Formats: sequence, structure tokens, C-alpha cells
Amino acid sequence: MVFDMRRDLCSFSFVCFVLLAAAALAGPGVLGLRDGPQAPPYSKPDWLDSSIAPTMVFHVTGSETLIESSGGQAPPETPLRDSQGPMAIGSSGGQGSLGRVRSLAGPPETPLRDSQGPTALERGLGQSPNASIALDWKYAPPLRVSLTGRLDGAQVRWTMPEGEFTLAAGRGDIDLDARDIPFKKALGIEPFVNMAAVLFPARGAYRLSLDGSGDVVMRVEGGRWGLLGTDQRGRDVATLFVRGVRISLIVGIAATLIATFFGLAFGLLSGYAGGATDTLIMRAVDVLLSIPTLPILMIFAGMWGRSLWNLVLILSIFSWMGTARMVRSMTLSLRDAPWVEGLRALGARRNYILFRHLVPEAMPLLLANIALGVPGAILAEAGLAFLGLSDPRLPSWGRMLHEAHVFGAFTSGAWWMILPPGLGISLICLIFMDIGRRLEERADPRLKGGSAR
Amino acid sequence: MSALLKRFGGAVVVLIIVLVLNFFLFRIMPGDPLTGIVDPRFSPEAKQELAAQWGLDRPVAEQFVVYIREMLSFRFGLSMMTGTPVWDELRNRVPNTVALLLPALLLSAALGIALGVKAALRRGSKVERLVLWSGAVSFSFPSFFVQLLLLMCFAWLWPIFPLSGSTSIPPLAGLAGVADYLRHLALPLLSLVILSFGGWALYVRNMMVKALGEDYVLMAVARGLPRRRVVWNHAFRSILPPVLTILLLSLPGVVSGAVITETVFSLNGAGRFLLEATNSHDYPSAGAAFFLLALLTVGCNLLADLLYVLVDPRVRRGGVE
Repeated sequence: MVFDMRRDLCSFSFVCFVLLAAAALAGPGVLGLRDGPQAPPYSKPDWLDSSIAPTMVFHVTGSETLIESSGGQAPPETPLRDSQGPMAIGSSGGQGSLGRVRSLAGPPETPLRDSQGPTALERGLGQSPNASIALDWKYAPPLRVSLTGRLDGAQVRWTMPEGEFTLAAGRGDIDLDARDIPFKKALGIEPFVNMAAVLFPARGAYRLSLDGSGDVVMRVEGGRWGLLGTDQRGRDVATLFVRGVRISLIVGIAATLIATFFGLAFGLLSGYAGGATDTLIMRAVDVLLSIPTLPILMIFAGMWGRSLWNLVLILSIFSWMGTARMVRSMTLSLRDAPWVEGLRALGARRNYILFRHLVPEAMPLLLANIALGVPGAILAEAGLAFLGLSDPRLPSWGRMLHEAHVFGAFTSGAWWMILPPGLGISLICLIFMDIGRRLEERADPRLKGGSAR
Repeated sequence: MSALLKRFGGAVVVLIIVLVLNFFLFRIMPGDPLTGIVDPRFSPEAKQELAAQWGLDRPVAEQFVVYIREMLSFRFGLSMMTGTPVWDELRNRVPNTVALLLPALLLSAALGIALGVKAALRRGSKVERLVLWSGAVSFSFPSFFVQLLLLMCFAWLWPIFPLSGSTSIPPLAGLAGVADYLRHLALPLLSLVILSFGGWALYVRNMMVKALGEDYVLMAVARGLPRRRVVWNHAFRSILPPVLTILLLSLPGVVSGAVITETVFSLNGAGRFLLEATNSHDYPSAGAAFFLLALLTVGCNLLADLLYVLVDPRVRRGGVE
């Protein structure tokens, strides 16, 4: 038995379940994933095509004023960590990110920090910023380049393998985009020329440098991002995927628990009371089983509101029937068992027999039933979300597929928007079915090696 | 005969419940049923006129009578989006749904039964492994995911099927039109068969394995009957009633699947009509589409019951339920 338990706990499905539950509890933040638009829409996964430019952020902070100020000088929206996909920060000093950024030269008083880890980097950012970033560009021109920040009497220079631009100079806040026509004119470029291609004409060594004091962030947006790319709004698919685990688990487990509660109550009532109550409940079960549920769910969800808990409630109202049937047949067979008759002869009351004897007797099978019921609820939720009938603010897997469908992800070839949520749903369903089967075997050892195999 | 009457009575009861549920579902909804079409800027008189147009100003009992009359006469009242009778919209759509579901059901049942029997006969073979896997797929893979993948593979990467719609635009005439319609139907149909044959095959295999171990099969083999006859006339014949039960139980799911399939492939069917009506808060249309889908289910249920009577001699004699 103990050995058996170990086998179940080490099973692939159980391990997967624990991992998914951990991901659901922790959320994407722990993995260093962030919400909101991150990169251009439909960016490909990072590992897919290394000739495409990744999305990178370069942060240069210039000179005297900053060194004297405290560490809080870095603007809050500036990414600090190095662990988030292809992003590099000016002072990160060759942290092996995809951007392949190296600090070549800093102001004279700033030591080079080539060998320091991300923690040192965070500390170091405010203390000793670099005024210059060099990068080794190996990709096609990016889609978009933008420059934001503040200058306190400085100029931002962009040195290319051949030639040089002064992107901005002077004093005050800057917010420039390579698509701005005034910006192009200021640099002497024709208005209808793609400036990103002018700024990144070829492969080679580039350098962004800040002469004077200021604080500038340059975003170079390419067509690659993160582990799983981005969706039609530029959100990180990996983040959405991890968020989706939570919704699926909550809906699946909560709806099944509530449905099991209903099923247990009605099944016990039906089986133990018998007579007209039994007939009524069983007829209701028959009727509910012969009505197509998805249309009803659609009407409820579409017209009653789409919040998560509405959905859970609606799902559980329409999925208690199977459990009720099972509990009823079990109650029927136990009601007239000799030991129950004995209990009655000893003067046990009905509630005592029901809740102290029949329910514990049914518990193992109920547990298995819960696990086997979760896939149904998850699939139903995913189906409703796919039809667009879920809370649009909650990124569930069904919703991701809905958006992939509505925004035509496959006509953009964006398979990374379809495969992860779809496989996620399937995996979670398979896991629960396997756990349910194991619990069922536990509850009824006759099933082992029986018809299933 | 009494068994048949009982089934018929049961179907009528289900339909009545669906009708009543349908009526009250829309009346107990929070908010005004006219929210979908009424602009807050409308004057109270205009609102009243609109309410009168849909009979919403009358007492509930009268509304109910009118509703039942409209439903049973298949007119379904006026759509709130177009102001035309709902049936005019639905009439063109229901055949598309039937043309999708019926062949899908028959094909997947036939394929599933054939594979299931084969798997039961050859335990441990590749066929059996296929059956076990496809069963797992059909129970755990969401239909829209598989359909999106198929759409991506066979309509975009390798465009041998159209991407969406029931017909080309503009529709072709004559024989070319029929061919065009079938071409648009092929991928949805295929996807439904792929998604559901596994469940059938798994059930049939499990029951066949049991049936093949029974004494009467051994007896039939001992009598020297041809293998074919043993398998189909003795073993399979005995599991036919439970197979029909599964057919019966799978129908609501199949109809639910129609909504999703029609949405994925943008087919012009009753399911997508329901979705559009729900999204635009068009209560009469949504109610009508739901009623028709329920009617379809109940009707098929009744048909399966009829077959049941033909197939199971015990039911014919009224011995067992």
C-alpha cells in the first residue's frame, strides 16, 4: 500500500499537477514575466529565428549629477532585471542576454563592470551609470526604434559602422519615435523612409552614447520576444499562459466541487427517500441530461454577466447529474444492506446513518468523481471563453484561443498563440483524468487491470 | 408499443420543460430585455412603443400564451436586431447545421464501431493503441483547439480547403454550387469525425472485449460458425443496445459541438446564430435557436429510442425499461 502510494505520487500526472498548481499560486511575476504590452504584436518566440531582431531596451544614464544622487534615480519603468528575455540594460555588462550588449566605455570615473551579476547591476545602476552602450548587431533592421527620457544639457549620439547621428540634444524631456516625421526631418531623412532601417543599416558594431548629463532609454523593437512570443496586442504569451493556469484550475475545481455537493445532496435524498422525491429528481436528471448544455450555458453567460464566479455557478448547476446518479445507486444498494438495517434497528437516526456511514462510504468514489469531473468543467469553461463569453479582463486559455481565432492568428502564422493554450487545456484534462483513474482504482481495486487495459 | 408511447411522452415532457425554461430564462434576466436595442437617449414614448412591438407591456400570462403560440407555429416572434420574423433568418441556417451534424455523427459512429471491434479482436495491436490514444484525445482535447489546428494546417499552410464560410461569395449556381458547398463542409465534418470517433471506438472496444469473453461467443465458435458471423451476429449484436444508449447520451454534446464548430469555421448554422443572438442580446432569436437545438436533440433522441425498440427484443416486449 505504501509502495503503491509512492508510485502514484511519483507519477507523471501528479508531478505535473503539483507544478501547475505551483505556477497558479505563484503567478507569472515569480518567473520574471510581466503583464501588459511588451513587444510588437505577433513577435515570434525568441528561439525561433535568430536573424530577426529581438526587442531590446538600452538605458544610458549620463554623468556627474547622477553619481551624486541616490540609487532611486533610475526611472521606475526602466527594466532592471536581466532575466526577462532579450533585454539588455546599459550597465549590465555582458550578462549574456540576447542583445549581446557590452559596455565599452564609460565616463572616466566609472569602472567597467563586466563580471558582475544582476544584483550588482541593480545596485550599480544608480551609483555608476554608463554613458555609452555598444552593441554587436547581427540581425535584420528592427521594426521600431524609440527614445525616451530626460536630458540636462546633453546630446545623444548614435554611432553606426559608417556614419553617426545626433539623435537629440539640449535640455528637457524627450519622447521620440523613429516614425515621427519631424524627428526624421530633424535628422535630415526623407519623411517616407523607414528610419529604423536607416539607424540599423547593416550588421556590425553600434554605439549609443550620452555626452553630458541625462537619463535616456532606447527601445529597439524587433520581431522576437520571450519564450512564446507575443499576441496581437504585444502581450507576452508566456505570461498569459501562466495566468491561464490559475483560471482553469479555479474554474475546474470550484465548479466540480459545487456540482459534487449538489450531486451528493440530491443523490442521497433521491436514494434514501425514494418514492415521489426519487422520481422527481431522477426525471429532472433525465431532462437536464437530454438538453444540450452549451447553448444553455451560452445564454446564461451571455445575458447574466460573464464574471468568473457566475461562470462557476452556471457550470456547476449543469453538471451535478452524473454524481447524483452515482450516489443514488450507491445509496440504494447500501440502504438495504444488513449493516445499515442493523444500525436502524439500534435506533440510529436517518441523518446519522447518512452522514456518518453512507457519505464516508461514498467518499473514495466521490473523490475520483471530482477528479474525473474537472476536465469537463475546464473544457466547458474553455469552450465558453472561446466563444467570447468569458470575462475579457481575465486571460484564460479559452480566451487566448478566442483572441487567436478572432484576430486571425493562424493567418499571421502565429502558431505560438494557439499551441500553448490548447496543449495546456489538453494536458490539464489528461492529468485530472489520470488522477481520477488512479483514485478510482484505489476506491475500487477490481478496476485495476480490468477492462481499462 | 407502450414502451414507445412512454418514450414519446418523455420527449414531449422535455420539450415542454425547454419551452417553459426558455420563456422564464429571458424574463428573470437582470435588466430590461430591451437593453440591447434601446439607446439611453430614446424618449420614454419610443421605449414604450418598442416594448409594445414585442408585447413586453402585457401581463406575463398573456406573454406566455403568445410565446407558446409563436414557438409551436415556428414563427418565433420578431428578431430584436432586424425586426423581421426570426424564422426567416433561421430557416436558411438549420439545414446547414443538420448537414454538418448528421453525416458527422454517422461517419464517426461507423468508423468508431469498425475500429473498436477491430481493436477488441486484436488486443495489443497497433489498431488497439490507436483506439486508446484517439479515445484519450477525444475526451481531453478541446474541440476548438483541434479545429483551429486543422484550419491552420489545411486552410492556411496547405490551402486545400477554404478558410471560412458555408459557401463562396458570391454563391455559385447549380452543380458547381453543390460542389462548393461540400468543399466548405469537408473540413468541419472531418474535424468532427476526428474528434468523436475515438470515444466511440473506446466504448465499443471495451464492450466488445467483454462480449467476446462470454460463453455464447465461445459456443458460437465451437459450433464452427464463420468468424465474421461470430463477431457481428453474436458478439456485436449483443452490445448493440448499449451502443445505442451511448448514441443517445452523446447527442447533446454533438449539438453543443455544432455551436463551436460553426464558430470556428464561420459556418452559417443555427449554432452560430445562437452565439450572434446572445452577443447582441437579441432574446427572441437566442430563444428560438436554443429551442431548435433542443428540438434537434430531442428528435434524435426519439429516433434513437425507436431504433432501440427495433434492436432490443426485451424492450419490444416491455419487459425491461
